[in-house]
Amino acid sequence: MSSYPTTMPPTRPEVSAGAPTESRARWIQLATSADHKTIGQILLAGSFGSLFLAALELLLVRVQLSVPDNVFLNAVTFDRLLSVYGETAIFLFALPLCIGLFYYVVPLQIGARGTALPRVGQTGLWLFILGGFVLYASFLFTPPEAGINPLPPLSELSFTGNNGVDVWLASTGMIILGLLLLSIDLLTTLHNLRAPGMAWRRAPIFTWAAAIVTWLMVVVVPIMLAAITMLMVDRKLGGTFFVGGSGGSPILWQHMSYIFFSASYMIIAVTFLAAISEIVQTFTRRQLLNRNVVIGSLAAIAVLGTLAWTQNMITAPLPSGWKYYGMLMSISLIVPFGLIFYNLIATVSASDFHMRAPLRYAMGALSLASIGLLAEIAQSTIAVGTQLQHTYDAWAATHFALIGFALFGGFAAVSYWYPKITGRLLNEERAKISFGVMFAGALIALVPLFGAGVEGQVTDSYRYVSGQGYDVFNLISAIGTLILFVGVIMAVGNLIKSRTEEDAALPDPYRGDTLEWLALSPPVAHNFDVLPDVRGTQPMRDIRDALVRRDAEAGNTADEPQPVA
Amino acid sequence: MRMARSRLSGSCDYNGPALLPRSKKTVSLFIALAGFLTGMGVLAGPAMALSLNPEAGSPGIEKANTFHWIIFVVIVIAIVAVNLAIIRAARPRNRHVPNGGSARKGSQLKVGLGLGVVALAIFVTATVFSDQSRVVPVSTETVADVNESKQLEIVATGQQWLWRFNYPNGAFSYHRLVVPAGVTVALKLVSTDVIHGWNVPSLTGKADAVPGKTNWVYFRADEEGVHTGRSAILSGQGYDTMEAKVEVVSPDEYETFIEQLKTDIQDAQDAVEQTNHEGAAATTDVSAGALKDDAQDKTMKTAEKEQ
Repeated sequence: MSSYPTTMPPTRPEVSAGAPTESRARWIQLATSADHKTIGQILLAGSFGSLFLAALELLLVRVQLSVPDNVFLNAVTFDRLLSVYGETAIFLFALPLCIGLFYYVVPLQIGARGTALPRVGQTGLWLFILGGFVLYASFLFTPPEAGINPLPPLSELSFTGNNGVDVWLASTGMIILGLLLLSIDLLTTLHNLRAPGMAWRRAPIFTWAAAIVTWLMVVVVPIMLAAITMLMVDRKLGGTFFVGGSGGSPILWQHMSYIFFSASYMIIAVTFLAAISEIVQTFTRRQLLNRNVVIGSLAAIAVLGTLAWTQNMITAPLPSGWKYYGMLMSISLIVPFGLIFYNLIATVSASDFHMRAPLRYAMGALSLASIGLLAEIAQSTIAVGTQLQHTYDAWAATHFALIGFALFGGFAAVSYWYPKITGRLLNEERAKISFGVMFAGALIALVPLFGAGVEGQVTDSYRYVSGQGYDVFNLISAIGTLILFVGVIMAVGNLIKSRTEEDAALPDPYRGDTLEWLALSPPVAHNFDVLPDVRGTQPMRDIRDALVRRDAEAGNTADEPQPVA
Repeated sequence: MRMARSRLSGSCDYNGPALLPRSKKTVSLFIALAGFLTGMGVLAGPAMALSLNPEAGSPGIEKANTFHWIIFVVIVIAIVAVNLAIIRAARPRNRHVPNGGSARKGSQLKVGLGLGVVALAIFVTATVFSDQSRVVPVSTETVADVNESKQLEIVATGQQWLWRFNYPNGAFSYHRLVVPAGVTVALKLVSTDVIHGWNVPSLTGKADAVPGKTNWVYFRADEEGVHTGRSAILSGQGYDTMEAKVEVVSPDEYETFIEQLKTDIQDAQDAVEQTNHEGAAATTDVSAGALKDDAQDKTMKTAEKEQ
């Protein structure tokens, strides 16, 4: 622990004019607030609740596969759990976590007093909540059962007659429409409400990532919404958009959905790489090496990764040009990813740092994601990909990358902004233990699956016969998933417990360099009383320097730094 | 001033240089990265050559296996290198202790890794492209129904939840595909209901059978034996039982097998028609009305099949 003060002195200086008195019940305030901080908190709480559900579903799936010919779940239950797991992990956990973090942090980072279109954002939040509710309410009736990506014709009415696929379409449509509305609000805020002097070249990396991600959402979400509408028309109005041999094509759904799924993957990667960059800058007290190269690489990841959608389709009957194209786009992704990884590692490598919970989670995220991304790039070559796609090798690669970015990167980002969001410090000891358990669990759960995939075990199958060389791998993976589940519960429990048990935090407990640390912890409703002129990429450092100069000129050597807010 | 500054900044030098000096270490990182990129770019060529060349046949499979192993080694090296760098970067230390010697060693290691990847990539390319003589034209003398492109064309139809194989002479089989050794087989993949994933990893890569579309996989097995595989795309509740078995036999045995299969199918068809005829005759004795219904049913079924 460093020597500078991180906790609030007993007499908290009240600089702001004070929040308006609470005249209404807390839940009414939460439900009716259009404040970006409230909406962001609800999104973050929702995504961590979904994380628990997703981890539980993954655990059940792995337990079913732990031994050959298991009878723990039947085929229908397994398919339903798998489909709901996929939707929960991507649409209810990872994407809302990205958008929620942006929605909470970015207006503070750019020095805005709110978002530009708060009612649009509020509508988005409620669409998201409604979508999640519809998905889980379906457990009372028929949950979706056509797979993580419900490929037509299996998801057409003639092959899946029950309402499961309709639930998938309705909930996914509402969730991504909600996230699109939140993105539009954020995008408008970014373009219009930056503080005086906050030119794009001075914007923090996380703000840049927010701009990249929200633009990408605006481009790709309508494509997925169109696909969902078309499949709805097929199912409810007798259309033939995705019916082969009737003028439509099942391949069309694959193009549309894989554009969105590739873009989601890249949204998750860009968000958490940017969050890790902020964490590295704060805890190493240095500006990131080659900052502009990193920002350009984030944009390149978003563009190239989305254009690489056909690498998911190298087994489909496509002209070979499409497959070469997808493969080249995927391989070229190694350039921006490599640049970011090396700049992050070199920045940490070249400096003294404080190994606190956010940086520890961030390093774990980089480690796991590097394994997943490199394995993905190997599989994007056609010769290897036609062998390994749809096996647990591909599953393990995707999970390494997404657990690395969304789970570890997510805990890194949330623990980094935890003092700002809650006004309390995170318990370091519990964070350390939960990190260790989660990291060990992720490795034990996923590394054996590479072996199972190379032996030829295909995904989505609810059972397998013994003696094919992958029984042991599945057993180890089930044990690892249990450890991962325990780790996730410990980490989420730490987030909940620290909120009441830990010390109150100062506005700027880590001495960060971006403007969100100027606001109180937690910020007042209007975020800032006074906005500074931004004169560089590190406005808070400039403010601290100015304070030091002022104190020196006045001959004032007070023991405590003056709070600024 | 100095005192106030140190108090505010704690133990660390947050007012240090905004950008790191461009050290040799950074340059070496970029050399390693550039080497890795070049390596992956060079690997792309053989990957393309192996994957979509129908004439490659089984020699291609051997090369593909070599290629898989090499890319596996390359990826493992890359993962280890990146994670060593992360561990090294995140190791707690005191920066005031000079540490020049080991940093230099580290940079040499990274340059070495980059060069190693390039060397491996060149080796793979040479292996794959130099040995073109092994891709021999397919001999057609012993196989009767091979078409003009010198490939044996067999149609594999995916259905929920089995594979049906149609041979060139009109015979067909379910689950089990028999092919001659030493002949390139062009497997035409179609589907009658949902998407099925053709997946016999020891013979060929995966390919999807999509309704309304045609997909092709090509393979040539030089040795006799049995290859099995599981369908690879979720196709409904019987998905886990959908398997394919490919038996490679000598060309003579293959000829005998498909002729026998054709005869058997014809016999079975004759037997069914015989039974049906007898049954219909028996029904005539009972009632003329029942025969009429039966005939209507048959017409409807035929119409459904044609649709």
